[in-house]
Amino acid sequence: MEIHLQLYSILREKLLLDAKGRAVLQLGEGATLADLLNELGIKLKVVISVNGVQESDKSRQLRDGDAVKIFSSVSGG
Amino acid sequence: MSQGYNGKILHVDLTDGMFRVEEPGEAFYRKHMGGSALAMHYLLKEIPPGADPLGPENVLVLALSVLTGVAISGQSRVTAAAKSPLTGAIGDSQGGGFFPAELKFAGFDAIVIKGKAEKPIYLWINDGHYELRDASHLWGAITGEAEATIKEELGDDKVEVMQIGPAGEKGVRFAGILSMSNRANGRTGMGAVMGSKNLKAVAVRGKNRPSVADKAGLSKLAKWGAANLKDSDIAGLAKYGTNETTGSNQASGTLPSYNYNRGVFDGWEPIDGTTMYDTVLRGAAEGKQDRLGRDTCYACTVRCKRVVEITEGPYKVDPHYGGPEYETTSTFGNYCNIDDLPAICKANEICNKYGIDTISCGATISWAFEAFNQGKLTLEDTDGLDLTWGNAESMVKLTEKIAKREGFGDLLAEGSERAAKKIGRGTEEYLITFKGQEAPAHMPRVKRSLAIIYATNPFGADHQSHEHDPAIEDDFEYYTDRMAVLGFSEGQEPRSLSDEKIRFTVASQRMYSAMDSLNLCQFVYGPAWQLYGPADIVELVQTVTGWEDVSFDELQKVGERRLNMMRAFNAREGFDRKDDVLPQKLFKPLKGGASDGWKLDRDEVMSALDKYYEFCGWEVKTGNPTRAKLEELDLGWVADQLGIDG
Repeated sequence: MEIHLQLYSILREKLLLDAKGRAVLQLGEGATLADLLNELGIKLKVVISVNGVQESDKSRQLRDGDAVKIFSSVSGG
Repeated sequence: MSQGYNGKILHVDLTDGMFRVEEPGEAFYRKHMGGSALAMHYLLKEIPPGADPLGPENVLVLALSVLTGVAISGQSRVTAAAKSPLTGAIGDSQGGGFFPAELKFAGFDAIVIKGKAEKPIYLWINDGHYELRDASHLWGAITGEAEATIKEELGDDKVEVMQIGPAGEKGVRFAGILSMSNRANGRTGMGAVMGSKNLKAVAVRGKNRPSVADKAGLSKLAKWGAANLKDSDIAGLAKYGTNETTGSNQASGTLPSYNYNRGVFDGWEPIDGTTMYDTVLRGAAEGKQDRLGRDTCYACTVRCKRVVEITEGPYKVDPHYGGPEYETTSTFGNYCNIDDLPAICKANEICNKYGIDTISCGATISWAFEAFNQGKLTLEDTDGLDLTWGNAESMVKLTEKIAKREGFGDLLAEGSERAAKKIGRGTEEYLITFKGQEAPAHMPRVKRSLAIIYATNPFGADHQSHEHDPAIEDDFEYYTDRMAVLGFSEGQEPRSLSDEKIRFTVASQRMYSAMDSLNLCQFVYGPAWQLYGPADIVELVQTVTGWEDVSFDELQKVGERRLNMMRAFNAREGFDRKDDVLPQKLFKPLKGGASDGWKLDRDEVMSALDKYYEFCGWEVKTGNPTRAKLEELDLGWVADQLGIDG
């Protein structure tokens, strides 16, 4: 399935520089958010939105065409 | 003598120009550590009850800590504290840069300023020597020009200058004090207090580095931080600034927009940290922004400060005045439904040139925007400025009018609460003020402990007075070791105001209060996601001072003592629980996005407040400290001052 991914701030550096944090990824059916984070090598605490809605449950299974945004972030500031 | 501090406090009475150097001794430093707690000691002793905040009887304290100026990240910060002209309660603000370390090098740990000079002056401190100098020629100058003139006439480019701009001179009630022309002790109107004393600036230069008890230990701690920064939770904040949080706050519905009526903003991406990094940071066009577009404070490897340069278009921005923080892009941006980043950077530049708190300024403007859009203000009120949501040009013009106290800006320079009272017409309904101070860009309807802190904080709404909810909610699993030091072993449900959440609120507030007394940066040090955790802070204090038996509990007591002194100061001024109230707006549901429909419940908040006062050891009915609590904190003299019976 295809996942439309966008990474912000320092997480952008997980992708090629000219990708500007955007990528379309092919993941196996039944892949979860945890699988996606693992694939990207993201170990930091992050905030994730799926199709514009925040998702805290990393066991959530993704679906073909999902738009996933991932933010590294501190909670104050 | 223990190490890390000079052991000298400089007192100056501007009315007669007399100086006095006090050497309070080790016990005093150990009791307060410095910064905000140290300042409170003098404010309680020297300000008479009922003093006019803009009168000569108010006292302004600039204070460092036992850690300021040593070679580790996140320690070069200074407290500015006095009675606030914005709230009438205690005023307190923290700022960073190079001034704090330089003041330590110049030989003093704090400056206690009272009285009022006959004409504009500035204070010059040079390696233990001090004098008042004429500032008549600087009065009216914007910060960058005054700073350059002072350095030139003192003949040393390495002089550090902490000063007010024209807004402080004109008594804008949320005027700040600036150093480097871009680092602000912004909140609670300390710049107006300084202006009321005819004190334009404090200039410092020194060559004496503070002694350190265990140099090898300090070096090891500093190197650990530098080595671990890139893999830490603040790696993104370092590179992309505090504005990194804009996107995640949008995702979680805690990005205030339309003057706090919504928790999401469609135009967030054009004003977030990633866009700033790619477009407006100095050097961005050549890909050199990491070198040219980021700045730092003394000895700090994090380098989170933004340097914006815009040379084309309607809003040219001078990099000397830095760049906006998350709070600033929020209040001038999403609060007002504005997604024009150069315009926001321009408003930030104006605030730094004239010396204004960007939070209160932007939030006061957003109040005016809502009043205008609700038909309660007209073009006649606003000097013809169209305050339709999203009008960036009007926002910039209004910022300048506030800075100069011109026309409609003169009214808004009083702060939104006074402006609403004067205008009436139901505009009080649109306020987002706590004790008269405008709310920063973190939503109590989402992060519920903020409701308790905003309401009870002695100096009004503040987002850096405790650890926000995620650390004890969804993020708890990441910080179990650090949370254990604070005494917490279990995460809480999102948006709860459980007893355990309130206990966490109180404990983390004490820790942040201790950090404001140690003058530590709350991005570098803290209880959860910060680079250094609670155990590291204890080690840092031990390493620098040589007080080997300092414990986390002792530091928590320092924080608790500061909060009790602040509440006692307010009690003296007639404040109590009745003033710990929240704006009406927070009990109405948010609209749109992840936080759609979320609101506070009055009964739940009242119960949580009861529990908060109980955990603080204060009288639940009044919310004020008891004699028993004050005596427990070695503050019996404060109870005597308040006339509290045993």
